[in-house]
Amino acid sequence: MKFKADEIASVIQKEIEDFRGQIQTAEVGRVIEVGDGIARCTGLSTVMSGEMLEFPNGTRGFAFNLEENSVGVVILGDYLKIAEGDEVRSTGKLLSVPVGEALLGRMVDPLGNPLDGKGPVITSESRPVEWLAAGVAERQPVKEPLQTGIKAIDAMTPVGRGQRELIIGDRKTGKTAIAIDTILNQKDTGVICVYVACGQRASSIAGVVEVLREKGALDYTIIVAATSADPAPLQYIGPYAGAAMAEYFMYQGKHTLIVYDDLSKQAVAYRQLSLLMRRPPGREAFPGDVFYCHSRLLERAVKLNKELGGGSMTALPIIETLEGEVSAYIPTNVISITDGQIYLEPDLFWKGIRPAINVGVSVSRVGGNAQTKAMKKIAGSLRLDLAAFRELEAFAQLGTELDKDTQSQLDRGYRMVELLKQRQFGPLHVADQVVTIYAGTKGYFDKVPVAKVSETEKELHEFIRTEHADMRDKLVKEAALTDEIEGMLKKALEAFVTRLASKA
Amino acid sequence: MSDSRPTSRPDSVLEDPGTLAVATMYAQSYLSAAAENGVAAPEEELNSLVDDVLVKFPEFEQLLMSDSLGRDDKLAIVDRVIAPRVSGFFVNFLKVLIRHGRIAMLPLVQNVVAKLQEEAAGKKRIRVKSARALSDSSRSQIVAHLKSTFGFEPVLQETVDASLLGGVILQVGDTVYDSSLRSRLKQLNGRLVEKAFNEIQSGRDRFSHPEGD
Repeated sequence: MKFKADEIASVIQKEIEDFRGQIQTAEVGRVIEVGDGIARCTGLSTVMSGEMLEFPNGTRGFAFNLEENSVGVVILGDYLKIAEGDEVRSTGKLLSVPVGEALLGRMVDPLGNPLDGKGPVITSESRPVEWLAAGVAERQPVKEPLQTGIKAIDAMTPVGRGQRELIIGDRKTGKTAIAIDTILNQKDTGVICVYVACGQRASSIAGVVEVLREKGALDYTIIVAATSADPAPLQYIGPYAGAAMAEYFMYQGKHTLIVYDDLSKQAVAYRQLSLLMRRPPGREAFPGDVFYCHSRLLERAVKLNKELGGGSMTALPIIETLEGEVSAYIPTNVISITDGQIYLEPDLFWKGIRPAINVGVSVSRVGGNAQTKAMKKIAGSLRLDLAAFRELEAFAQLGTELDKDTQSQLDRGYRMVELLKQRQFGPLHVADQVVTIYAGTKGYFDKVPVAKVSETEKELHEFIRTEHADMRDKLVKEAALTDEIEGMLKKALEAFVTRLASKA
Repeated sequence: MSDSRPTSRPDSVLEDPGTLAVATMYAQSYLSAAAENGVAAPEEELNSLVDDVLVKFPEFEQLLMSDSLGRDDKLAIVDRVIAPRVSGFFVNFLKVLIRHGRIAMLPLVQNVVAKLQEEAAGKKRIRVKSARALSDSSRSQIVAHLKSTFGFEPVLQETVDASLLGGVILQVGDTVYDSSLRSRLKQLNGRLVEKAFNEIQSGRDRFSHPEGD
């Protein structure tokens, strides 16, 4: 189709004729000093804290410090083009980002500008980046499960919709992998995911995007990226921008999942801003309100009440520790804000126990109410059993003679540990998880050599799916281990064990 | 006034707001002390010192402002040179400035005093930016309009900026009223681009399925 030049010309002409320019009024100030991503301005006498400001070249910023004689402005973009004496205009608006369906499947920067080369994000709606979290009356308790698809988590540290579960661990322990697996597992569940990359390497963000695209998870995911090359202000507002994008869906009654990867880098960016603004440094040179910086962000993860549509926002913040130091400032802060943590350990990781979750230290404070009945029934004693196993294991290493009971307990423990291992990008449906854990705890794997456990587990799932699909369907539908289903499951497992024995 | 004086500071470089705050404090004190002591027209001596003495004898200004001379020496100079020729009240003010090491602020204080007096008289400085120099009729029109809208006597500070193309920009305090042709064209441009975006979107919507792909 070609444009008709006359037609276009007349449309444009009409547009120009109808145009009535209005007098623009704006509050202005002038830049007195600029550098390192911040500017100090005079004037702007009625500017609000957090208000969006505009520099002459179109760069935006927001008022961060309101001082007696000047305003400290954080510049969101290229500050090298701003000079002393430049005029700064207030916009009367709080910093906001575009939101809506158009963002699904897109990668944007914290201001909502596309980074993926797929053209402009066309949406008429926007939402302030900073938004007050829902109050007490607007919430309801967390009670629906959010399946991560990871056996060790869904069984022992379950996550509910509207919960904030911290993923904490040293570098290279698989923190992001857990978050990505959780996003992958939300396929066909209607949960909308937001992945906020904050201070990450651009290459690892590209890797995450590639995995999501490959597995078809990009259709329900928004990626907000502030790489480590982006200025500190963008890294600082990234998580809030992501939260605003998720909130849009949450207030429509939808379920959302947001991953903040990672908040320790955001805290560092905030520290940089605060120190440049000459706010007084506190512990580890972080400003005094770094706790509030994280608490107001994570408080936005809620399960809304029925009147507000019952939507939810589940947050998975990630914190990187140094040498397992969880008592550093930022880790302790975020641990105290969240509803539990998944603690990953390098030792376990290198032993081959992946996901490298330390079961003893990991907790979920509210997730128990959100577990499916089936999972709750079988996983109840799992954590304690594993703890007992660890103790025995340490004891057994002393080389003492063991009685038969102890030996069998140890053997089952080894197999349980093996069963809880899971490869990356392979989330399991909760019904399959129930089958695995039931089989493990009831001793159906006791005869299988430890090295062959994971292989046998795969065969078991195949066996159940092909030959006992009715039982699995029932388990999926009812999500509870009724006597009837348990009977069917037992029968199926016995059949599987006899088949294994006959093969051997 | 010192505005016409060549300064080492270009216009784009702004006064430190902290210095301005200090100068405002001195200016206010000077005016209120003058009122208490019944000094009429306190700005006269101040303006005269800056315009008739310091501007004409830059060596004297350097001597007074520089740090190479001690405070006592500066006080002695003031006693010898200035004291016999002006009122005791003004000499006192100069000595206070010297004792506090703030004598270099004198031109700034002079500016602020002028501004404060204008404000006290119900006048307000208003920056007017126009594409061409204002004619007398348009100037009086602007003044009359501002007077009826804001209720104070406007003092226009005019600048000419050809890049506005047409129209004027008024700045009252920190608020800017922009009706220049340049910004109107910018608005029109934004409107047309937005319209094009909407056209593209509606074109897309026509081919997409509401229930999803």
